[in-house]
Amino acid sequence: MKKTKTASAATFLLLLVVLACYLSPLLIMVFGSFKSYSEIMSQVLDVPQRFSLDNFRNVFTSMNYPKSLWNTLLVTTIGVAGIVVISSLAGYKLSRVKTRYSYILFLFCIMPMMIPFQSFMITLVKLAKQLGLLGNLYGLGVIYWGLGAPLSIFLYHGFVKGIPHELEECAMLDGCSSLRMFISVIFPMLRPVTASVVVVNAMWIWNDFLLPLLTISNNDSIKTLQLAAYGFMGQYKMEWQNIMAGAIMIIIPALIVYLIFQKNIVKGMVAGAVKG
Amino acid sequence: MNQARKKKLSHTIEFLGFTMPAAFAILLFVGIPFLMCIFYSFRKWNGIQRASTFIGFQNYVRAFTDDPTFGQSIRYTLIYALFTVIFINIIALVLSVVLEQSDAFGKGFFRAAFYIPNIISLIIIGFTWKFIFSRAFEAMQESTGAAMFGWSWLGQPKLAVFSTVLVTVWQALGFYMLIYIAGLQSVPEDVIEAATIDGAGRVRRFFSVIFPLIIPSVTVCTFYSIANSLKMFELIFTLTGGGPGTATTSVALDIYNTAFNSNQYGYGSSKSVILFAMVAVITILQVTVFKKKEIEA
Repeated sequence: MKKTKTASAATFLLLLVVLACYLSPLLIMVFGSFKSYSEIMSQVLDVPQRFSLDNFRNVFTSMNYPKSLWNTLLVTTIGVAGIVVISSLAGYKLSRVKTRYSYILFLFCIMPMMIPFQSFMITLVKLAKQLGLLGNLYGLGVIYWGLGAPLSIFLYHGFVKGIPHELEECAMLDGCSSLRMFISVIFPMLRPVTASVVVVNAMWIWNDFLLPLLTISNNDSIKTLQLAAYGFMGQYKMEWQNIMAGAIMIIIPALIVYLIFQKNIVKGMVAGAVKG
Repeated sequence: MNQARKKKLSHTIEFLGFTMPAAFAILLFVGIPFLMCIFYSFRKWNGIQRASTFIGFQNYVRAFTDDPTFGQSIRYTLIYALFTVIFINIIALVLSVVLEQSDAFGKGFFRAAFYIPNIISLIIIGFTWKFIFSRAFEAMQESTGAAMFGWSWLGQPKLAVFSTVLVTVWQALGFYMLIYIAGLQSVPEDVIEAATIDGAGRVRRFFSVIFPLIIPSVTVCTFYSIANSLKMFELIFTLTGGGPGTATTSVALDIYNTAFNSNQYGYGSSKSVILFAMVAVITILQVTVFKKKEIEA
């Protein structure tokens, strides 16, 4: 439908107004992070008088920011890398082998998508303790493998269906072992879906709070950003200027990643949602 | 013969080699804990001692007959989920339809901008909105004089329930818009054109042509919003802490409190199983009903 220019300009303006209202809480947060205590209490909505970085400096040390950032990066990397490896292997094989057992195993692998995490968190914590996975970042990362694999296997499984068999047959004739073939022929072809799997799982693990709370919050020396945020925001109670600054410092890494990989995130989220 | 058997064996080993790492991880971190939860839901267990005693259905009976907090949390969760699902889907759909009218640049820009709250963790969203509801609203009341900003948004039980819905919708909207926009883009142009030629106005076009064709997106969005709202934990944990009183205590939060604050692991396990059943029954019902309404373009 051809719209007149004025009509589409009007929609644009209307959307802009809606968006401004929609994002205003975030703007208040950004303004707040630069204000002093007395300023944030007396002039909540105003633009800050001066853009001082004092709050950020406070929070940087009290939250032990570099350490927490590193911990979060570590957990996310371990989690995502493991999920990609085990899910691509399994998703590929389960899609290619068409036997009854393979189908049953596939169902077993994707069924956990229907089970809410809170339905098994109590016993998961107990089990993790017995396995020695509590209280350390590696253990936390490894637990994500099992939680993230179902959706990822589902995505890989669907994608592999669209890849022709001929390539594998050629590689087989060349005497490639099946693992070699997977690594050098198949995995590179899975790139689009791998990008989605990485994005979906990275955003989830980065922002996850409940599992770290249950597994590593006893150990004060290791904290993820979300745990540090929680601890520190509780500790500051009503010192909103520090809380706002801390919030921004936690959002910024995710925001940068989001702006860089925006296209992939959109694709990944839609793929994850529509197929899931 | 021997050759064939050997080949079959090597295929089996290869199959297991590829699939077992994932299957094992899922079994270990989801399957076994979930089965353990069902097992312990029939037992009295404080989580500290190894020992637990079998008590039959007592935990379940207690949850439904002798636990006002749990009853309240189920009521709250259902109300919260109902309103969240309705608001999210209507607002996301309306915004997506309006967005479809704008040009390619506008579409990309707004879609990305509306998604921003979604990349922020719920913990931080909770704290931020606590500030908005208290300090920012107070300031708004002073400057505008509007009475609604003076209400006790987190302190008055009914209003607090609404506040949790409001913040959830605000945070999640961008995600559902992504799905609706993708759905709207898949509606074939010629169908819409044909309807226009037949004299259908914009509203008529939407309800008679476009909407029936995007029901798959509606199914997905409804499914996700139901599943996510029934298990909401983090936002409530920081925004209201479940209060005032237990007005906004969700089932997930109640499970957490039962197990990790009052050390009633067995009892908490039975509540976990109830949560699972709740989510399973409601989502299966929803998907069955919605799938029947889907049509091919």
